[in-house]
Amino acid sequence: MNGRSWRVVVAAGILVVALCLPLGLDPQGYAIRIFTLIFLFAAMAQSWNIVGGLANQMSLGHAAFFGIGAYTSTLLLIRMGISPWLGMAAGALLGGMVAALLSLPTMRLSGHYFALATLAFGEVMRVLANTWASVTGGPGGISVPFGQDSWWMLSFKSTRPHYYLTLGALISVTAVFVAIQRSAFGYRLRAVRENIAAAEVVGVDSARTKILAATISGALIAALGTLYAQLTFFFDPDTVFGIAPISIRVALIAILGGVGVAIGPIIGALVIIPLEEAANFAFSAQAAGLSALVYGLLLVTIIFVEPRGLVALAGLRKRWRSS
Amino acid sequence: MSGSAILAVSNVCKRFGGLRALDDVSLQVERGEIVGLIGPNGAGKTTLFSALVGLHRIDGGTIRFDGSNVSGLKPHRVAALGLTKTFQNVALFSEMSVLDNVLVGGLLRHGLASARSAAQSCLDCVGLGAIAGKRAADLSFPERARVEVARALATQPKLLLLDEVMAALNAAEKRDMIGLIRALRDDGLTLIVIEHHMNTIMSLCDRIAALSFGRLIAEGRPAEIARHPAVVEAYLGREHAF
Repeated sequence: MNGRSWRVVVAAGILVVALCLPLGLDPQGYAIRIFTLIFLFAAMAQSWNIVGGLANQMSLGHAAFFGIGAYTSTLLLIRMGISPWLGMAAGALLGGMVAALLSLPTMRLSGHYFALATLAFGEVMRVLANTWASVTGGPGGISVPFGQDSWWMLSFKSTRPHYYLTLGALISVTAVFVAIQRSAFGYRLRAVRENIAAAEVVGVDSARTKILAATISGALIAALGTLYAQLTFFFDPDTVFGIAPISIRVALIAILGGVGVAIGPIIGALVIIPLEEAANFAFSAQAAGLSALVYGLLLVTIIFVEPRGLVALAGLRKRWRSS
Repeated sequence: MSGSAILAVSNVCKRFGGLRALDDVSLQVERGEIVGLIGPNGAGKTTLFSALVGLHRIDGGTIRFDGSNVSGLKPHRVAALGLTKTFQNVALFSEMSVLDNVLVGGLLRHGLASARSAAQSCLDCVGLGAIAGKRAADLSFPERARVEVARALATQPKLLLLDEVMAALNAAEKRDMIGLIRALRDDGLTLIVIEHHMNTIMSLCDRIAALSFGRLIAEGRPAEIARHPAVVEAYLGREHAF
């Protein structure tokens, strides 16, 4: 078997395990919830990876679009009883539009400047959501209405359906990522990332390329905001628009796993989410903040050892890239 | 502007702060010509190329290419009209393969699949078909310069600006490149080349334009330019002039 068919076999094997795993787990237990969060955050980091990896623009403001998605579907559900599926579509549309608008002034920026501009935009959205209480409910947060178990209303008492939803989301977003990577658009994105002047001189419309990447990325993570809202039943502006809980976390997961490769965010989430939980579990009893310190030190260590991410460390990068 | 001129540069100015990088430059290029652009370092040769392809916004004058005014157009629009250039310092997409570098140029006029085969034939054309799979960053400098040429060719230009593509080539490679440039011209391409090596440019070009301190100081056939007092002065200094 060649490398490609091996990968298909391995991926199929992992998928079968992932599909069967919940059958052995308590449907409302702790473990299944961790897996659900891993899938969700991996999918979020994969959305980020389109801008952060393929376009190499280190966004620290993806919470803006995530929060827009969470609030859009939740408000439509509360005010008008609209299904979160439709709310997800509306949120993705809105998130994509906002991302496109934001990319107009920010696409000329690079490196730290782009990171800071997007970070600031995320903060603006957080403050806005906190202040605009008549719509968002303000800092007190918002509760997602809870009804009968229903796929149409995305409402479940058990975590098991959410496990499959987030797994499906991860597979879908990863499929989009890989499709972009292999398309003409993906080549243009990489060309713009490597050398913008050269790309333009041989015919690449860099502005259009960057805006399109930002729009797809923003729309995808906004759609995931709906899944998050339906999973947690309650959220507030500081969570869904937060720098640490969303923006930085999502970027970190992709960076730690390996930027610009499809497997990166998945590996990153598999490491970071359990690591956070373990740090909380092990140290939260000893002293406040100790868990965060240990978590932070571990991240610094990993980034020091291999700045290109865990994928590079495992030597997987080359194989996944040369596809 | 005569009927067969593919490029008409009229009174083009470009300033960087107080520096006049291009000062009232006018130049015409006829279809099917190979025009050499010479001048001492800092004369504005590369700046002129960048202005022509839209990388620099000009401060005055007009650039007409193939019947349309391209002054102020974005580089990708200029490329779509059929005008592109190579980069003096070599600006490859270094993490991409040689083939993918050229493929990006091919995407201007092809879908992904046919861009790939077009890229392969452009690489064969510059003699790099065998190393299509190599990472661009792993190439030697002469190889990179040839990838630059292949990538530009993949956009199917009508006018190609070559910025010192022979700088690092050995004698044999230089001969190949000159052969390629002539073959391209015979296929209908028009070229402007910047080269420092005088013998090369004198034998290759139909016509030569000389820049100094942003001004066009001479223009004519190679033999005329070699003896032109302003050119001799610009290169060797006043005391060596007639």
